Amino acid sequence: MDPAGPEPPVAHKGIMTRHAILLAGSLATVSVLAFVIATASGKAQGTPQATTAADTAFEAPEITDTASLEGPRQPIFFRHDVHAGQYLIDCQYCHVNTEVSPKPGIPTVSSCMNCHLVAGTGIAEVDSLRAYDRDGREIEWVEVHDLAQFVHFPHEVHVNAEEEFELVCEDCHGQVDRMAQIYQFGALKMGWCLDCHKEKSEQFDTVVSTDCSVCHY
Amino acid sequence: MATIAQPQQDAIPTYDEVTRDIAATLGKPKPGYFVLLGIVLVVLLIGAIALMYQVRYGLGVAGYRPPVLWGVYITTFVFWVGIAHSGTLISAILYLFRSAWRTSVYRTAEAMTVFAVMTAGLFPLIHVGRIWYAYWLFPYPNQRQLWVNFKSPLVWDVFAVSTYFTVSTCFLIVGLIPDVAAIRDLATGWRKKLYKLAALSWRGTDQQWRHYTRAYLYLAALATPLVLSVHSVVSWDFAMSIVPGWHATIFAPYFVAGAIYSGVAMVVTLLVPLRKVFNMERYITVRHFENLAKLLLLTGLIVGYAYGVEYFIAWYSGNPFERASFWNRAFGEYWWATWTMILCNGVLPLFLFFKKIRTSIPALFVLSLFVNLGMWFERFVIIVVSLSFEYEPYAMGHYTPSWVEFAILAGSFAWFFMWFLLFAKNFPTVSITEVKEIIPMPRKRRLHE
Amino acid sequence: MNRRRFLKVLGVTGGGGATALSGCSTDNVEKLIPYLVPPENEIPGLATWYASTCRECPAGCGFHVRVREGRAVKVEGNPNSPINQGKLCSRGQAATQGLYNPDRVRAPLSRGDNGFFEPITWDAALARITERLNAVSGDRVWFVTGNEAGAFDSLVSEWLAALGANPSIVYEPFGYEAMRHANRVVFGSDSIPAYDFAAAQYVLSFGADFMDTWLSPVEQTRQFSEGHSYDSGRMGRYVHVEPRMSMTAMSADEWIAPNPGTEGALALGVAHVIVRDRLASVPSDVSRIQTLLDRNDPASVSGVTGVSVATIERLAHEFTAHSSLAVAGGVGAQHDQAHASVAAANILNYVAGNVGNTVTFGADINPSGESSYASVASLVDDMAAGRVAVLFVHGADPAYATPANLGFAAAMRAVEFKVSFSRFLDDTAMEADLVLPDHDPLEQWNDFEPRAGVYTLQQPVMQPVFDTRQTGDVLLALAAQLGGSVAATFTAASYKDYLQARWQRLQRDRRPFDVFWTEALQRGGMWTEPGERAVRLAAGAATVAEGTWPQPSGEQLTLIAYPSPALYDGRGANRPWLQELPDPVTKLTWNSWLEINPVTAERLGIADGEMIEVSSAHRTVTVSAHLYPGIKEDVVAIPMGQGHRWFGRYAGARGVNVLDLLAAEPTEFGGMGHFTAVTLRNTKDYEPAATPAGRSRQMGRGIAQATTLAALAHPEEQHEEEHSEHAAPVPEHIEEVLDEWQEAQYREWKQRGNYAAEDLPRWAMAIDLSKCTGCSACVTACYAENNIPTVGEKLMRRERGMAWLRIERYFEGGGDEPLEVRVLPMMCQHCGNAPCEPVCPVFAAYHTPDGLNAQVYNRCVGTRYCSNNCPYKVRYFNWWDHSNENDAAFSFPDPLHWLLNPDVTVRSKGVMEKCTFCVQRIRGKQNELKLSGESLQDGDVVPACQQTCPANAIVFGDLNDPDSRVRAMATDSERGYHVLGSLNTRPAVTYLKKVTNSAD
Repeated sequence: MDPAGPEPPVAHKGIMTRHAILLAGSLATVSVLAFVIATASGKAQGTPQATTAADTAFEAPEITDTASLEGPRQPIFFRHDVHAGQYLIDCQYCHVNTEVSPKPGIPTVSSCMNCHLVAGTGIAEVDSLRAYDRDGREIEWVEVHDLAQFVHFPHEVHVNAEEEFELVCEDCHGQVDRMAQIYQFGALKMGWCLDCHKEKSEQFDTVVSTDCSVCHY
Repeated sequence: MATIAQPQQDAIPTYDEVTRDIAATLGKPKPGYFVLLGIVLVVLLIGAIALMYQVRYGLGVAGYRPPVLWGVYITTFVFWVGIAHSGTLISAILYLFRSAWRTSVYRTAEAMTVFAVMTAGLFPLIHVGRIWYAYWLFPYPNQRQLWVNFKSPLVWDVFAVSTYFTVSTCFLIVGLIPDVAAIRDLATGWRKKLYKLAALSWRGTDQQWRHYTRAYLYLAALATPLVLSVHSVVSWDFAMSIVPGWHATIFAPYFVAGAIYSGVAMVVTLLVPLRKVFNMERYITVRHFENLAKLLLLTGLIVGYAYGVEYFIAWYSGNPFERASFWNRAFGEYWWATWTMILCNGVLPLFLFFKKIRTSIPALFVLSLFVNLGMWFERFVIIVVSLSFEYEPYAMGHYTPSWVEFAILAGSFAWFFMWFLLFAKNFPTVSITEVKEIIPMPRKRRLHE
Repeated sequence: MNRRRFLKVLGVTGGGGATALSGCSTDNVEKLIPYLVPPENEIPGLATWYASTCRECPAGCGFHVRVREGRAVKVEGNPNSPINQGKLCSRGQAATQGLYNPDRVRAPLSRGDNGFFEPITWDAALARITERLNAVSGDRVWFVTGNEAGAFDSLVSEWLAALGANPSIVYEPFGYEAMRHANRVVFGSDSIPAYDFAAAQYVLSFGADFMDTWLSPVEQTRQFSEGHSYDSGRMGRYVHVEPRMSMTAMSADEWIAPNPGTEGALALGVAHVIVRDRLASVPSDVSRIQTLLDRNDPASVSGVTGVSVATIERLAHEFTAHSSLAVAGGVGAQHDQAHASVAAANILNYVAGNVGNTVTFGADINPSGESSYASVASLVDDMAAGRVAVLFVHGADPAYATPANLGFAAAMRAVEFKVSFSRFLDDTAMEADLVLPDHDPLEQWNDFEPRAGVYTLQQPVMQPVFDTRQTGDVLLALAAQLGGSVAATFTAASYKDYLQARWQRLQRDRRPFDVFWTEALQRGGMWTEPGERAVRLAAGAATVAEGTWPQPSGEQLTLIAYPSPALYDGRGANRPWLQELPDPVTKLTWNSWLEINPVTAERLGIADGEMIEVSSAHRTVTVSAHLYPGIKEDVVAIPMGQGHRWFGRYAGARGVNVLDLLAAEPTEFGGMGHFTAVTLRNTKDYEPAATPAGRSRQMGRGIAQATTLAALAHPEEQHEEEHSEHAAPVPEHIEEVLDEWQEAQYREWKQRGNYAAEDLPRWAMAIDLSKCTGCSACVTACYAENNIPTVGEKLMRRERGMAWLRIERYFEGGGDEPLEVRVLPMMCQHCGNAPCEPVCPVFAAYHTPDGLNAQVYNRCVGTRYCSNNCPYKVRYFNWWDHSNENDAAFSFPDPLHWLLNPDVTVRSKGVMEKCTFCVQRIRGKQNELKLSGESLQDGDVVPACQQTCPANAIVFGDLNDPDSRVRAMATDSERGYHVLGSLNTRPAVTYLKKVTNSAD
């Protein structure tokens, strides 16, 4: 956030800038404070370092102390760093609906079993997966990226914006292929969304909508 | 000039008498005081409980019935903001006009201003649907990168009221300095500490006096425009809308006059018992009351005139919605509210033309009560009655407040009087310094004889 | 998938359903439950649509059911259906509230020794029935069903036949006994012909409420609006004859109130004039009824009906001047002389040569027919006399829907063993020994034959919500258990097999069956065009119309018991949406009322809202009075539908059952007489009405405007413009200022958001008031689409209803001049210069780049300034937390919350809400187009109200698109206007004036 004065709001830019100027002086102190807050909250949103060719030979580390891992503990210790990182399985092999549905959802147990009928025998977690499948129990994954119900996030549109806006999964989800356990990477706060929308607008000299009713209805 | 407010000729108090008399009001309270305070606190508690109940279950517990979505809360908000005004008028404007009679009443008026604003400030919060998000009405930088809508009169309100509160509080505190210092020297125990703090180590040196008078003058100058601006802004809450009965250019002056009117009435309501209890007859004289009465009469006439203009314009504009709205005011479901208002604010003050009434303190007291009532009803009529009869015939409806609203209304009075009672017993309600100022110097006095 | 599983699956949406209610915090831990195996063609987050059939009334409209994450969230009309062509009425829209009704019977129940119901396993239940059936002889077994023409009907018949039991009794409280009787005698065919309201330019209805409940209301509404509504200088004319102005009659150009029960005489009078003056090419065989017509000359008819001779003559001439149609039915067909009325109408149609044109036999309504009320009455006698050992009841609630004096419930107690297949504990089920809950129509395989040649299919759109079982399967299981000849009759293993077997017989073409079957499923059924049947005037025609017309009954008032447009015969009473839907005529909700003419009320000293004791020869009920100018002075009326003793939390012990007042004896034609003489006594108790309606007069404000055909035909001659005082012209300079201002806005918006369109759209709506009938289907559709909570009677009394869309009803005239009713759908006008926007301190109310007036719920603080400043009063505040299960005002008791639309935010306490033009559909479409790269076409976005409007009165689209329909209507200089346009709000909603075709 710009320390000279608070960022004018998305809505009603025209009017606001005038007021922002008027108030810049009086609010300078507040803004400094805000700057601190912003940077503090900004901690969550680092930029992912791109995977270079060297990383492709990545081997997922042995995890001894799962308690130290970031993110909520899941019923099954499913490791994205193994699947996406080490075996380079494409995200959408499992997350099939991300391109078509506003609600990406998560893979069905049956699709896990596509591989794990044979693969991974002897691994405790795989056995427990098979157990779930055998007894027809559902796996109660803990939702990591949880949006409030008054936010309508069209996931498919963002996934499909890859070419147009150079948007990749990592931008929001972080380096999933290096995460032993999934944790919330992006802040998933309104300002966080807006920053990206504005950034892309400037980068591609177009209008990536920052209108309220795109998400809130 | 001095003669205007000269205490009864027979017994002009000496300086130390003044200090003693006024300091005496801070003496050990009688049991009656605590009884009064107790009652006030109980009522306040009831109001607080009602509020909590409302926050838990939603505004449904209030009597709102669409299309009337503003009711008792906003009415009471405007009422208290109005009360606040006369305080500033008496203490600031009259000060600038050098009208000396204000000296013995302005402290009370000022205190009343501060407490009234403190009360008024609560109501926008009580009124909103999601009180826990009320802070969104303040412009502050946030991660949502959102701003407030400076077009909205409600945002203007936020600024108006908060400014008013700040300035009037400073004004009161600064004005207190020399007096507090005076009492400090008499007080003991925790109060001494309190006064020490408030007196800002006042010693009464020339230099301090010079700074003090300057500061006071500037604050008075600063406060003066607020008397006009604040209630104008409040009136724009209504005038800026398109509701028939609200959408009128007359509103700003109309509201300011009404505000001072109600404020003066409240000053009288407070002074009369105060004077009795603290036997201040020597300082707060009939002359003071008569002057207040004249102010009351003047503003009362303005308000009455405004009523007339409202109806005239409604008819003259030829706007059928305006006409219908005002017809409904006078003869619709709420006729009783309208006529109460007209009787209390338009008719009764005319009695003040008689000096007999102006100089009769009991009469003034009763009258002031009626005016307070009338002014509350004025806001009720403007807000509720107009809303209940807008453009869409299909969507017209009748609103009656619920017990929650009345409880909170009563609570607000309790809140106000609680502060005032505490103030009256801990700070001089009559300015020692300024009273002394208008007492002729002793030597002069001898010459007079 | 069981219920537990269901609620979990909701987690996949991350919103909607149970989780939607958990409010706005991002802290609470959500669970994501994947499917074990992905169900075919179901993607979390995307809707799947299934075709099915509406079973809320016997009309048999086609459904499309929207399914999200395995739960049905909304029903919409099936565009392929020949009956409703994509439209639905309120009752149809509320079908999902039957499916998710919290008062459904969740498992089989049996009455224990203590007299209370206790759960029982299906096997045990079936065993008990088998044992019973083995014990008793077949002729002591009876089966009562509703109108379920199709596979189920035939299954029941076969099943009963195999048992050697009596044929089933098909009971509909509003059956067509009178019509069948009259048609048999007049035309020698007791089937119900198809009436073509579209082709008829002149409709003369004798009490037929053909747009409320009679026959096929949705279809008839569509046809009527086609045939009647104003279109470039032409429109039809509709005259309604009935002592009470029903919802249908509100659309009439002229309303004639004859003496109650004498509609038939009037019809004959008109026929007399036609024949006398040879106004039409009268068929030769009319001579058969010459004597009858002679007796009914205008003078004598006028004496009977109280309608002036001149009017009768005029009607005759109008009737023959255009292609016309006379219909008698509805309430008109419910009194003792109903058969005579219908017969008279038939004769009128015949002499005017309409039979074969607008009245055609062949595609008959409900060909399989239903039993008469008389047969129910005789069943009661049998039961009372102990001649009935086992009674099965399915799809009917005779204990409620028969006059109390008939004593159905009491007689049931004399039956040894009663089995109810009801989905709810209705008044009949409460008398049963065994309740075996059937699947909801949305959960079952079935078909229905609403009319000859139209076979509609039902398929389960989701897993059963509760432990219910389809009655068809139960019967088959029973047959198997009974063994012997009974088991032998049925080859089908399941009801689905039975159904398919039946459809194999229906299949005409040579394709493999599964191809045909799948196609039929997708289409929603199979439609064929049955040949037309010519009918002649039967010999006995003269005899039936020999009505002994009732005389005006002096001091006594005539009570009319009419079917409620929302609750029909009461089967809708347990749907909160329908309970809260303001009655199209009286605008009252959640209760019963007595309609009484203000003049009569004054004479009897009755004020609006006072509790009145209404006594007939049979019973007395107490109900609040509602002063209604649209009812004849010697007539009062009470709607049917309320007054259930049980039937769940929403219906139970609410209002009065008007049938209690009626005579138990069947009428001459075997129906139920819905007219009776009553006396009133004012108890002086007062009960405020639960209604959203403020005033019923416009006070000359031109909210709902109207004009006449004549006025439109001759615009040159200046007709004094009604409400001219309000048509205050907007000064030039103001227009300019507004234009500039809007230009600036537009430029600013372009910076803020583009919605996959180079030119920002300006969403707008146009509503043709000459089409709108006030049926209120749009209102319920809006509830269903936008998660609008129902608030209940207590809050409705405070006008705290949340309906985003309301139908305003205004009276014009009345007293000496003819009464005119105007209706106007009022929703957020999405003003271009919206008063609500600038006053919101936090931008919760603001204007979107595509011209919507948006309301951001999560930003709203609740100052309610916006609503004060809204001249249309279309913003609704959440006074309570309707979405919090711990609050008294909770509106979605489990499993009702399953029908919450996951695409729409569930609003919390303390925020303002309003019509959004179904923004979720707009955004959904825009996202879709982003992916496909196509551009938006006119008609791509259809809000819920337009989608369901049976009269096609609502059109939505982009005002900036020069060839959009809405643009064309919005620029209609002839009839277009903006409500309160003189306020410069620049609404996006344009109304087209109502047009009345007054008598020339």
